[in-house]
Amino acid sequence: METNIRFTHKELVERSKSGDRNSQYRLYELYVDAMYNIGIRMLGIKEDAEDIVQESFVDAFRNLGSFKYESTFGSWLKRIVVNKSINHLKLKRIPITSIEDHEFYLKEDVEENVEAIDIKKVKMGLEKLPAGYKQIISLYLIEGYDHLEIGEILEISTSTSKSQYHRAKKKLVEIINTL
Amino acid sequence: MDNFEKHIRENKALFDEHKADKAKLWANIASGLEDPNPKVVPLWRSPILRVAASIVLLFGITTIIGVSLMNKTDYNTQNNIVSQELLDIDMHYKSLVSYQVQLVKNHPKLSDGDKEEFLLFMDELDKEYELLKLEMKKNLDNELVLEAIIANYKKRIELIENLLHQINDSKLINEDYDGYTL
Repeated sequence: METNIRFTHKELVERSKSGDRNSQYRLYELYVDAMYNIGIRMLGIKEDAEDIVQESFVDAFRNLGSFKYESTFGSWLKRIVVNKSINHLKLKRIPITSIEDHEFYLKEDVEENVEAIDIKKVKMGLEKLPAGYKQIISLYLIEGYDHLEIGEILEISTSTSKSQYHRAKKKLVEIINTL
Repeated sequence: MDNFEKHIRENKALFDEHKADKAKLWANIASGLEDPNPKVVPLWRSPILRVAASIVLLFGITTIIGVSLMNKTDYNTQNNIVSQELLDIDMHYKSLVSYQVQLVKNHPKLSDGDKEEFLLFMDELDKEYELLKLEMKKNLDNELVLEAIIANYKKRIELIENLLHQINDSKLINEDYDGYTL
């Protein structure tokens, strides 16, 4: 089954590899909203997200020959968007995981009574999080990367990724509980 | 993974609430893909062509070396064959000529002057023979040179035979003459 998932949209991908613009557009249509939302979550600014999504699709179609179905096309494209977003943040000198300043405000025993938590509140809570926290929560909980992958993306160790994530999660729950 | 995490992951689709301006983004992507300055990779930078060129070069060098070695071997083989042929001819005619020269030298009816004149003539043929041998080394596949060497030997033998015949004929005439006088 896993193999089949990896070959999702294979025909479109193969035709796009040979430069068929219609197939490229169909792939774009299928993935653009998901990629745009990743960009928004990572960067927080609509224009920046648009720039990153455009660049990512251009890069993806130009380098489609290197895509060998080791993952799904969506995962491959998502990684391009995430990496470009991280590089964009670095260029803008926005701290990616520098979140120590907020540790002073963390409570050690955060209540995680989540059954009743509304996703709307989670979204609001995410918006209130510092950039570094927001990114690591998004990468782990929404984009579905594990700490090893997050370590590679953010160029930090796996243990750092884990500890930063736990701090971010506590902060998020704390914010949600105040809403 | 706790309930909080599970709850978010199970509902992660709800986080995709934004809609991209598809037309605007695609216009920029399409223009980005139609780069007027396409990336040109020089042929020599292509790893496949590099490998192919190396193989061709290696094959070429090997062929040149192989052909030259084979030619050398052939040349040596040919050289050996021709040398052997020449040696055989040389042995045969040399013994024949030296035998007949010895006959001339020892012939009692020939004066020393005649012998000297005859041997000087033979020396000239010897010199010609040496030149032909040198020519043979330079141009071993030339059968004409080999034929000339044989002709040289034959000429010497013919000359010696003629000389010996003449001596013997005069002897017969003398003997006849003696007979008539008797």
